[in-house]
Amino acid sequence: MKKLLFFTTIVLVVFSSCTTTSKIPKSTAYKGIYDEKPLSILLMPPINRSTNVEAKEYFHSTLNIPLANAGYYVIPPFLSMEILKRESAYDAELFLNSPLTKFREVFGADLAVFTIIHKWDKSGIAAKVYVKVEYVIKSTKTNEIVYTRTGDIKYDASVSTNAGGLAGLVADVALSAINTAATKYVDVARACNAYTFKDIPAGKYSSTYGTDGAEMSGKKEYEATLNKDYR
Amino acid sequence: MRKGLILFALLAILASCTTQKPLYTWGNYEITSYNYLKNTDEKSIQELIENYQQVIENQKGTRGIVPPGVCADYGFILLQEGKKEEGKEMLMKEIALYPESKIFIERILKMIEE
Repeated sequence: MKKLLFFTTIVLVVFSSCTTTSKIPKSTAYKGIYDEKPLSILLMPPINRSTNVEAKEYFHSTLNIPLANAGYYVIPPFLSMEILKRESAYDAELFLNSPLTKFREVFGADLAVFTIIHKWDKSGIAAKVYVKVEYVIKSTKTNEIVYTRTGDIKYDASVSTNAGGLAGLVADVALSAINTAATKYVDVARACNAYTFKDIPAGKYSSTYGTDGAEMSGKKEYEATLNKDYR
Repeated sequence: MRKGLILFALLAILASCTTQKPLYTWGNYEITSYNYLKNTDEKSIQELIENYQQVIENQKGTRGIVPPGVCADYGFILLQEGKKEEGKEMLMKEIALYPESKIFIERILKMIEE
């Protein structure tokens, strides 16, 4: 009996370490997606309300993969960006609260993904980046929000050399400083996107399409600590 | 015996936590895209093109098909480089792979001819 209890505890601990989910199944939390069965997704240029001017590009170049790998058709990002620019529709802020029918006609988009970067702060010496980012996915058919999550994310870009003593400490700081070079920030955005979209309902090209509704959705507002190893 | 069974169950649960093989592989898509967005110079364009070629020719995802948007965006870059026929060919390939792209891509093909 005692043994059984022990193992049950272990199993529960293992389980809880996997995810931090809410108690709402995806079929309820993201009902619009299960009802409408969208296929095509248009990436809107990220809206940057942070003080870091470059945060927009970090997100823009990393939104495609998690959504395509979840089974959706992501409308070619560079080509759609070019057309949005030509049509003077590059400022996504303009469309956050307005009808999206036009995007359905021009791009064949079922969904539009808005990314709002609220905060992007870096602390140089500790190689940490603090990000607050809000994701809003709207249906171009109903103009309703079908998916939204906001993450308060701490990204740790430090690298440990595992060398002890004072020399090790100095080496650690130097390595971390190199690691925070501009291109490394792309990985911060990548990790934020990957973490958030973990719970997006599987799209048509996924092997779990239509069968994942009973899985639990992630928390609408969450906090997470991520690093480059997060996939 | 029973211990073995429990251990097996634990391993199975643990395995379910790890990420499965992805639908598509992308090479260095993210960083090459970022560099292109940021710089749009000769070097970043070249690296982006090379990455597209690698994703198309060396696809290791579970679907075994070029990911959405890759042919079309590659075609768009080729058009910008003045390679009209190759670019158009890539845009058509996108429609062949992903018929849902037709509305948008046909619009682009029309724009090229204008």
